[in-house]
Amino acid sequence: MTAATMPKIQKRKSKNHDIAFPLVNGIFLCVLMFVTLFPVLNTVAISFNDGIDAVRGGIGIWPRIFSTEAYNALLSDKLTYTAFGISVARTVLTTLLNLLLTSMLAFALSRKEYVFNKFITFIVVMTMYVNAGLIPNYLLIAKTLKLTKTFWVYIIPTMFSCFNMIVIRTYIMGLPEALAESARIDGANDFRIFWQIIFPLCTPVLATVALFVAVGSWNQWFDTQLYNGSKKNLYTLQYLLKMKLATSMQSANAANTSVDALVQTSKSTPVTVRCATTVVSAVPILIVYPFLQRYFVTGMVLGGVKG
Amino acid sequence: MTTKAINNKPAQAAKRKKIWRTLWDQKYLMLMSIPVLLYVLFFNYYPLWGWRYAFQNLNLNNLKKGADWIGFENFTWLFNRPEFINSIRNTLAMSTINLIVGTIASIVLAILLNEVRNKAFKRTVQTVTYLPHFLSMVIVVGMAQNMFMSDGPINNMLIAAKLVDSPVYWLGEGKYFWFLVAIINVWKEVGWNSIIYISTMTSIDPTLYEAASIDGAGRFKRILHVTLPGIKSTFMVLLIMNIGHLMEAGFEIQYLMGNDLNIDFSQTIDVFVMKYGISAGNYGRAIASGMFKSVVGIILLFGANFIAKKLDEDTLL
Amino acid sequence: MKKFLAGILALIMVLSLCSFAVAEEPITVTVFRGDPGDQPTDDNKIYKLIEEEFGIKFEFEFLAGDLDETLGTKLMNEDYPDLFDGGNSAEKLINAGALINLLDYMSEEKTPNLWNHIAAIKDQIVNENGELFIIPNYGINYNEQVVNACNGPAFFLQKQVLAWAGYPQVKTLNEYFDLIEKFIAENPTDANGAKYEGFAILCEDWRHFCLINPVQHLMGQPNEGEVFINRTADENGNHEVDVFIVQDYAKPYYKKLNEMFNKGLINADTFVMNYDQYIAKLSSGVVLGMFDQTWDFGPATDALNTAEMFGNTYVALPLVYDESYGFGAISEQYLNGGVPNKDRGFGISVSCEYPERLVMMFEELLSDKWQTILQWGIEGEDYYVENGRLLMTKEQYNQRADATWKMANMAATIWESSPKKQGLMDDGNAWTPGDQGEILMAFMSDYDKEFLGKYGFTKWADFFNAPCELAPWGEAWQIDKAPINDDYTDFNSIQDKWLPICIMSADDATFDANWDAFQAEIAPSAKVYEDFMQEEVMKLVNK
Repeated sequence: MTAATMPKIQKRKSKNHDIAFPLVNGIFLCVLMFVTLFPVLNTVAISFNDGIDAVRGGIGIWPRIFSTEAYNALLSDKLTYTAFGISVARTVLTTLLNLLLTSMLAFALSRKEYVFNKFITFIVVMTMYVNAGLIPNYLLIAKTLKLTKTFWVYIIPTMFSCFNMIVIRTYIMGLPEALAESARIDGANDFRIFWQIIFPLCTPVLATVALFVAVGSWNQWFDTQLYNGSKKNLYTLQYLLKMKLATSMQSANAANTSVDALVQTSKSTPVTVRCATTVVSAVPILIVYPFLQRYFVTGMVLGGVKG
Repeated sequence: MTTKAINNKPAQAAKRKKIWRTLWDQKYLMLMSIPVLLYVLFFNYYPLWGWRYAFQNLNLNNLKKGADWIGFENFTWLFNRPEFINSIRNTLAMSTINLIVGTIASIVLAILLNEVRNKAFKRTVQTVTYLPHFLSMVIVVGMAQNMFMSDGPINNMLIAAKLVDSPVYWLGEGKYFWFLVAIINVWKEVGWNSIIYISTMTSIDPTLYEAASIDGAGRFKRILHVTLPGIKSTFMVLLIMNIGHLMEAGFEIQYLMGNDLNIDFSQTIDVFVMKYGISAGNYGRAIASGMFKSVVGIILLFGANFIAKKLDEDTLL
Repeated sequence: MKKFLAGILALIMVLSLCSFAVAEEPITVTVFRGDPGDQPTDDNKIYKLIEEEFGIKFEFEFLAGDLDETLGTKLMNEDYPDLFDGGNSAEKLINAGALINLLDYMSEEKTPNLWNHIAAIKDQIVNENGELFIIPNYGINYNEQVVNACNGPAFFLQKQVLAWAGYPQVKTLNEYFDLIEKFIAENPTDANGAKYEGFAILCEDWRHFCLINPVQHLMGQPNEGEVFINRTADENGNHEVDVFIVQDYAKPYYKKLNEMFNKGLINADTFVMNYDQYIAKLSSGVVLGMFDQTWDFGPATDALNTAEMFGNTYVALPLVYDESYGFGAISEQYLNGGVPNKDRGFGISVSCEYPERLVMMFEELLSDKWQTILQWGIEGEDYYVENGRLLMTKEQYNQRADATWKMANMAATIWESSPKKQGLMDDGNAWTPGDQGEILMAFMSDYDKEFLGKYGFTKWADFFNAPCELAPWGEAWQIDKAPINDDYTDFNSIQDKWLPICIMSADDATFDANWDAFQAEIAPSAKVYEDFMQEEVMKLVNK
């Protein structure tokens, strides 16, 4: 449709839209923010509330009886700090290695002329759907590779992800072909083209992927439970928090002990510890996020193979 | 046939030479991709050998002695349970609803954010809406249940607005369950899932918008003719990907929100397997059901991919 | 001279090394506990003592995720810790052959403490082949079982309701519900205007015993789970086992609940509440009564006490059907004799290199000296002695519930999962601080003292008949149902689904129709379960 075919009335209407729409949109997004923010603030408020009082429910976005007991319970433990270190180490290492491996494959598969392109793409895409299940995977890691009770169990099985490969590949395919072409004419091999030209250009998409990988790695606790449960110097923060949570649930039941069940005075309760746990585990990611958000401006697309 | 082969001999040799030549030229590409391929084969395909347990009566009592081969008995057991069939229905229903509602919601949010001109406001909204992604399901479900209680805020609002006479028994009646799960999932993940659409939109060439404006297109026309086509390939690829995951409707939310009254609508395959497979130490059944899910997922994936190909759209494979 | 000195020094060194070797070289023992727990601090004072005395250091692993999943992977990979506590799924360890037979290492001469500890209950806890894999961690009483309060199942009622009615004796189901009804009729809301709820039923997951267990108690039986067992044998020595939910006497209880529901005394939300919401509701003081077990709603009791809402805390009542139900005069029997916690606690895994030393450690830990250290702590620091009585200040007692303090000052994990003495010491002190009468009385609120005084009681257990003698089958709910798992799961699912439907029936006709439909659906799995339990109970009786 061109301007010439557009009736005048409609033009005026669209002007009206330009005032009304941002307003409505702004209000809608504010409501949405409130709806999403309320439970988050509620979680923070409960985490700062007295434990026994919090059990009674009905706390809004401000603590009723202020207390840092739940945080004391989390932060008084020396293990928290080693676990924090392990978590940071695994997140950073996993993210770096994953980005390297994933983008390397993405580059190779972005080259239409590559003879194994279709074959490898097929094998790799299928990994998103073929899942052997918990027990076979456990046997691979524990029995075949003997990675239990090592730090590497956090890194080695998580060095590649197919979804991210597709994201990066699409981005590379969107880059001007001329860049790689001129480098090739200058005699650069594929690896150098990837490393010196393509990789640096991928910063925006790598930032996004880094966020996905880092959040996934940071939030992981199950691998610690499975493989490193008896090595407390290899605990991750998430696992430790998960355990704290489970313990406070347990002490609340004081199941079948009957002993001391009559006087219970722990000041942090499952309700508050659960919320404090959430806050503590989310904060590091929230701190990192704005730095990555800068790169989103250039953006990324997800594309496949044109049929 | 044979004469043809003889006649083509020189041509074939040349072709073979060309193939080796190509392979040599692509040695760096192979160097970059084959290690990853081997990695994937080892970590994702090699464990599939474990699927043999689906055909064994593997359980706690015979872990050491070794289980016996029992053919398809685990599968026939599963498919003779009406609850299992029912759980397949629930799984597919919930994942389909989630996929549709979730996709629409994240695209709408992405479009609305894309229309915001104030950068600070845009970033604030974006950051706030993805926060719930970090809340654990236990907390989210707890809050949702409080909201939907008979005397909870939702019912109070409905009664105050005279939409209903008596409180709706949201949590006890199965027919509301799928809807509740969809709402909670959207609320928790809409911000996070829209990240990919937002960044896709930022990569749309701004001159397209300008051109559309010069052509006199209003805001909705621009969204319709520039924004939506701009995210189409992302949308298609995600759609195909997720269709392959329709057998995964989640476990935690159904496990936490399901109760004895809505069980006919809330029990998913994973919850069922937890009850009759894992908890009982009946690993053969658990692995059989996992295998079934994977196979169905792959069939769905190929189906979706095939249709997309027919429609000349972006495909995954 | 120098050479001589050097020689002497070398000799001393060699000797000292030898003597160390004789006093057993230090070892590190890996421990898994199938319950969540806190890692003790490195300088935990009790573990330090254990290390000094036995040369044994522990490396703990606690449960963080799902128990069955965790055990399953450990068992599949034969990745066993030295000390293996499988929590509530310990049967899996035994069935999978992961544990050693402890009796191979025990004898009257070598391990007198352990031997005497299990002497009285040996028949109950060894299996058909005469093997014992786990010594019960709880429930073995010395001298006398201490029963200060009902810690198990009962009907609960807010104290203010009894106070309002002038402290009547409430002994039957009808009296209980009549009282609740009358109270609500006169006091529909509390002081803040929140509506009272007459009766709550927690149905979530394994806590559904609040829904499905009460009938046996109304018929005068202690907690056997889902079956009613005739305590007197017939002429063939057979104890009849009935699944009670399919018996005639189950229906009246749910009919009564249906009646209460239609009178508005039961909120429909009770069937969809999760545990947290249940606790929150109880803690707000609006729920007048429920059937539950004392430990299950501990957090609510804490919250009410802290808010000084003493009138809203609960008293346990042993209710039965009155004669109008046509089952005769029933005498209540809620309290049971000390129940050994069969197959719960530490086992020693087959991959442990020092089974002998660990058994000897447990033997030593069961001595009076170590039991006092494990349960009471260090004299002067954790408790004090006055006129021969072991006592604690309020501060000393309360810190035992503080997780951070426990991590540094109690050997909680070892204590909880090891065999231990309960009941009374030979000098009359309680083995466990929580059982010591003076301590309980000292920390009881004035409201509670007055409340008990009105009834002329000194402790909460006075509302109940004395515990009966433990049956030869222990408590039947402890029987491992793994062999009939599918049917047992069905049996539970059907009850969980249908009982709320019955209770919420709109009228009598609907109730009867629902009840009949329920009975028809549950019959097959109930039959399998009943036959299985009959067989298992008789196996235990005939041992």
